[in-house]
Amino acid sequence: MKGKIRIKSYGFTMLVLFVLLILMIGITSTIGSASISPIDVYKVVLSKVPLIGDVLGTDTITPAQHSIIWSVRLPRVLLGVIVGAGLSISGASFQGLLKNPMADPYILGISSGAALGAAIAIILKLETAFIGFSGISIMAFVGALIAVTLVYNIGRIRSQVPVTTLLLAGVAVGQFLTAITSLLMVMYNRDMTKIIYWTLGSLAGKGWNPITTMSIPIIAAMVILLFFSRDINIMLTGEESAKSLGVNVERIKVYILLLGTFITSMAVSVSGIIGFVGLIIPHIVRLIVGPDHRILLPASAIVGSIFMVFTDTIARTVISPMEIPVGIITAIFGGPFFIYLLRSKKKAL
Amino acid sequence: MMSVSAKNLVFGYSSTPVIRDVSFQVDKGEFISILGPNGSGKSTLLKTINGLYIPSSGRIELMGENIERYKRRDIARRISLVPQDTSLQFEFTVEEVVTMGRHPFKGRFEKEDERDRKLIYEAMEMTNTFDIRDRLITEISGGERQRVYIAKALAQNTEIILLDEPTSHLDINHQIDILNLLRRMNQEKGITIILVIHDINLATRFSDRILLLKKGSIISQGTPEDVITTENILNAYGMRAAVERNRYTGHISVIPLEVNKRIRSELNIKVHVISGGGSGQDLINVLYHRGYQLSLGVLNAGDTDWQYARSLKIPLSEEKPFSAISDRAAKKNREMLAVADLVIMTNVPIGGGNLRNLKMAWESLENGKKVYYLEDRDYDEFDYTGGEATALLERMIENGLIVVDSMEQLLRAIS
Repeated sequence: MKGKIRIKSYGFTMLVLFVLLILMIGITSTIGSASISPIDVYKVVLSKVPLIGDVLGTDTITPAQHSIIWSVRLPRVLLGVIVGAGLSISGASFQGLLKNPMADPYILGISSGAALGAAIAIILKLETAFIGFSGISIMAFVGALIAVTLVYNIGRIRSQVPVTTLLLAGVAVGQFLTAITSLLMVMYNRDMTKIIYWTLGSLAGKGWNPITTMSIPIIAAMVILLFFSRDINIMLTGEESAKSLGVNVERIKVYILLLGTFITSMAVSVSGIIGFVGLIIPHIVRLIVGPDHRILLPASAIVGSIFMVFTDTIARTVISPMEIPVGIITAIFGGPFFIYLLRSKKKAL
Repeated sequence: MMSVSAKNLVFGYSSTPVIRDVSFQVDKGEFISILGPNGSGKSTLLKTINGLYIPSSGRIELMGENIERYKRRDIARRISLVPQDTSLQFEFTVEEVVTMGRHPFKGRFEKEDERDRKLIYEAMEMTNTFDIRDRLITEISGGERQRVYIAKALAQNTEIILLDEPTSHLDINHQIDILNLLRRMNQEKGITIILVIHDINLATRFSDRILLLKKGSIISQGTPEDVITTENILNAYGMRAAVERNRYTGHISVIPLEVNKRIRSELNIKVHVISGGGSGQDLINVLYHRGYQLSLGVLNAGDTDWQYARSLKIPLSEEKPFSAISDRAAKKNREMLAVADLVIMTNVPIGGGNLRNLKMAWESLENGKKVYYLEDRDYDEFDYTGGEATALLERMIENGLIVVDSMEQLLRAIS
C-alpha cells in the first residue's frame, strides 16, 4: 500500500471539508422546481444575521423565492446536515469502540426499537405533539432508548460490557423487536404503508421546528464525543492495553455508548431510519484521513452532512414531484460502495 | 529498592482461584521471568501486577503503596504493559502507535511537545523501529509489531515494563532479538522487566530471577539455578527433564525427556550404571524407558545424574556433595554391583574423588561380570589422577572391558 495518500494536516482537511459543505448547502438549495441561484441562498441566510442583513441588498429576490428558500429548502437541507453528521459521527465512534468495521449507529438496536415505537404511534394514531415533535417522533425516540437500555443490560457482565456480548445482544434484541414490528404490520395492515415509509427514512416536510430543538443538543453531544477521540484510538489497541495506558475503558465505553445513542435516537426520531450513512461514511473518511479518531470523527461528521444533503436532493428531484424515501437512495449508493470495499479488503488479504 | 511486590495475593471469583496466596518482591532494575504450564495463572498474575484485575484478597504494592489506591493514569505513569495480542486491524502508522505511549502524560487536547517527541524517537531508535515509522502497523511482520509495542512501552517511560509472552509467536531469531532488546533496556536504562514466557531456556538465559507457578501458586522462586531443577520441572510440568548447564551460553538449560505418564514395560535385566556430571543422563533415560532395572552409583548428591535418577526414583548409592567416595557409599555400591547382570560405565572424567568408582568397575570385571564402557562424550581430559586412572582403564581393556563409542552400539551389544 505504498504511495497511499494520507492527509495529515488537521486544519487544512477540516477547512476544505467545511467549504465543500457550505457550497453543497448553497447548490442543493437551488435545485428544484423553482429556479433560484446559489448566491440568493447565501443572501437569504445572511440577511437573517443582524448587522450584515442591513447592508445586504436582497431586492432582487422575490418574496416567493425568499419563502421557498427560507421555509422549504433551507430547513430540509439543514436537517440533512444535522442528521448526516450525527449518524456518521455515531457510526465512526461505534466502529472504533466495538472494533468492528460492520458496526453502524443502529447496531445496538436503535433502529428496531425506534421502528417499533413509531409503528405503535402510527397504529394508535398518536398525533399529539410535544415541544414541536410529533407523537411518532417521540415514540420512536423512546423506543430507541428502551432498545439500547435492554441491549446494554443484556450485554453487561457485572460492571463490564464486553464488546462481543454487546454486539450479539444488539443483534438478538434487534431481530426480536423487528419481528414484533412485522407482526404489528401484519395485524394492522392498513397502516403498513405508512410504517414502511417511516422506516425507509425521509427528511421531507419537517420545517424549522426539529432543527431549532435538535441542533443544540446534537451538536453539543458531538462536541463531547470529540473529547474521547484519543481514548477511542487507544482502545483500538485492546482494552487491557488501553487500561495499562491509563484509559478508564469501562467508563469511556459508557460515555460513548450514551452519546452515540442519544445522537442517533434524536436523528432517527425525526428522519426515520436512514441506512448506510453511518456505516459507509466512516469507512470512506478512514481511507482518506486514516484511523485517528481526532480527525476521523469531525471529518466523518462533515462528509456525512455532505453525503446526506446530496442524496436527499436526489431523493426529492429524481422523479419530481414524487419523493423517493432518502433511505433508498443512500442504500442504492451505499450498497455498491460497500461491496467494492469488501472486494478490495479481500484483495488485501 | 523494592519496586513492586505481592502480598498473599488471591485472585478468582470461584472456589478454585486462579492465583492462590502468592507473595513475592521485585527490586528496581531486576529482570524477572514468570514461568509455568498453561493455565498456571501466569498472565493473570501479570495483569494483577498492573492493577488490571482486582485481587479477591491480598494486595499488590507499588512503591510500597497498595496499587488499588492509585488512579489508572498514575499506574500508567509507572508501569507499562506489552500485551500478548498485538494485532491491530486499524491502519495506524508505527509512529502513531508508539506515540500512544505518551497518553498517560497528556491532557485531552494537549499535543505532544518536544520532550514527548524526544522520548518517542528514542524509543523507536532503541527498538530499531525508526526506519519503519511511517509504515502501517497492519502491514509489518509479527516480530516488527512486537518491537513497535515495546517501543510504545518505552515511550511511556515507566520504571517497570510488563510483557505477556513477547516471544510466543516469533521465529527463534526474533525471540533472541526481542530478549536481547529487553536486556539492553534493563541494563542501560535500569528498567525493571517482568515477563511471562513459555520457553524455560530463554528465561534462564536472560533472567535474574524466576517465579515458577503451578495452579496459581508459586512453587519456587529464585535464581535460574535454584528454580530450574529436575524436581521442580517434574512438579510443575509433570515432565522428566534433564537440567544441565548449556556449554555455549553457560546458562541452565532444560532438555525435555518424557512426560510422566508414559507406561514402560519392565525387562528382567539389572543394569548398574557408573556415571556422573550429566554424562549418564541420556544413557539412564534410554535404559529406563527400555525397561531395564537400573541402579546407580556412586554419585554425589546434587550432581545432574543424581538429580535425574532421583526424579525417576532409581535406587542409587550416594555420597555427600563434592566429597570423595566413602567406605559407606562404596559398600552400598558393591551390594548393587553384586546383583547387577551387567555394568555400564560412562567416560566421565576420573579424579581422586571418584577413582573408587573405576576400581569397583574393575572388581566387577574380575568377578566375571560384563562391563561396558560408553565413550560417547567429548571431554578434554579423562584422567585427573596423574596416570592411575588411565593405567587401570588399560588393564581393564586387556581383561575384557567392552568399549563402545555410541549409544546405538551399546544397545545392540547389551540386547
